Amino acid sequence: MKKITLKLFRYNPETDTKPHYDTYKLEVEPTDRVLDLLEKVKGYEDGTLSFRRSCAHGVCGSCAMRVNGENKLACKTLIQDIKSSKITVEPILGMPVLKDMIVDMEPFFDNYKKVMPYFINDDPKPEKEHIQSIEEQERFDDTAKCILCGACTTSCPSFWANDEYVGPAAIVNAHRFIFDSRDQGAAERLQILNDQFGVYRCRTIFNCTLACPREIEITKAIGEVKKAIATGSLD
Amino acid sequence: MALNRKVGFFKGLKYKGGGPMWAWVLHRTSGLAMVVFVGLHIIAGFLTQQFGSEAGIAINTIYENDIFQLVIFFLVIFHAVNGLRVVILDLITPLLEYQREAIWLEWLIIMALYSLVIFSVLHDVMMG
Repeated sequence: MKKITLKLFRYNPETDTKPHYDTYKLEVEPTDRVLDLLEKVKGYEDGTLSFRRSCAHGVCGSCAMRVNGENKLACKTLIQDIKSSKITVEPILGMPVLKDMIVDMEPFFDNYKKVMPYFINDDPKPEKEHIQSIEEQERFDDTAKCILCGACTTSCPSFWANDEYVGPAAIVNAHRFIFDSRDQGAAERLQILNDQFGVYRCRTIFNCTLACPREIEITKAIGEVKKAIATGSLD
Repeated sequence: MALNRKVGFFKGLKYKGGGPMWAWVLHRTSGLAMVVFVGLHIIAGFLTQQFGSEAGIAINTIYENDIFQLVIFFLVIFHAVNGLRVVILDLITPLLEYQREAIWLEWLIIMALYSLVIFSVLHDVMMG
């Protein structure tokens, strides 16, 4: 067992005018996750603590939050991987905080919808499936891993400065379809991203790549979209 | 009511983005510092022309100061090399996988160039 001090960001819109931090002393296993700590506080110390969680296995993307100043999925962050015995958990940056760790994700999903993140193909339906080679599939293999947790977008200083910037997550999801050989909407998506709030807001800072819990090479994906816009070619 | 989404300067700096984020912060800061330096240079020239050399010399002494020179040279070299790193990574996207190595290489080049500046400034100070 390990003794840790857990410092949690707290804000209740019904009672608080400004946020504050609450501190809890806990005994935890090194194999516990930050999400387990939050559950422990909610279950045994303060039932009003609010946070999003669903699958608790790094797939649904609900529990993105700042752990010791860095965007992480609470369900994938093990205590043994955190060097300090003091753990601070705060909501992700750049989104309006609704309560404690819960932020309003609407601006994030509004930006996501802008890039038309769905399959576009007006050809008559093939008899079986749309055929694609392994090489063609590998073009967007990495970006198809996105779980829309928002860790990348909310770690991006360009997004902090202006939430009209579509953000890394939306570009990653555009990339997933732009480079899909079966899709026919690439030109339209590239046009949407070739905008003052599109890909050129990316300053190649790399926060997104480092924050991604799925280890997607986000800055590389954005670079490939920038190149496709500049050259007019997907090769 | 939901809390404002605004991320202030200091709040943003507290985010632990690591080396690449600090390189970006320093890139912006060095850009501003160069604007101040060039501004002082222009003002010094203007004052000398309009009001005689006394006023211009007063400003000249600021940026001819050895410490100021050491700082501004560091910022100019950093800004140039870091800018090159970003341009190269942006233009040759496969290299983006090696961004960590690119940061190390960048600092190697900066330190090599900056050691020449330190040598030159110290040489001037010692030789009077």
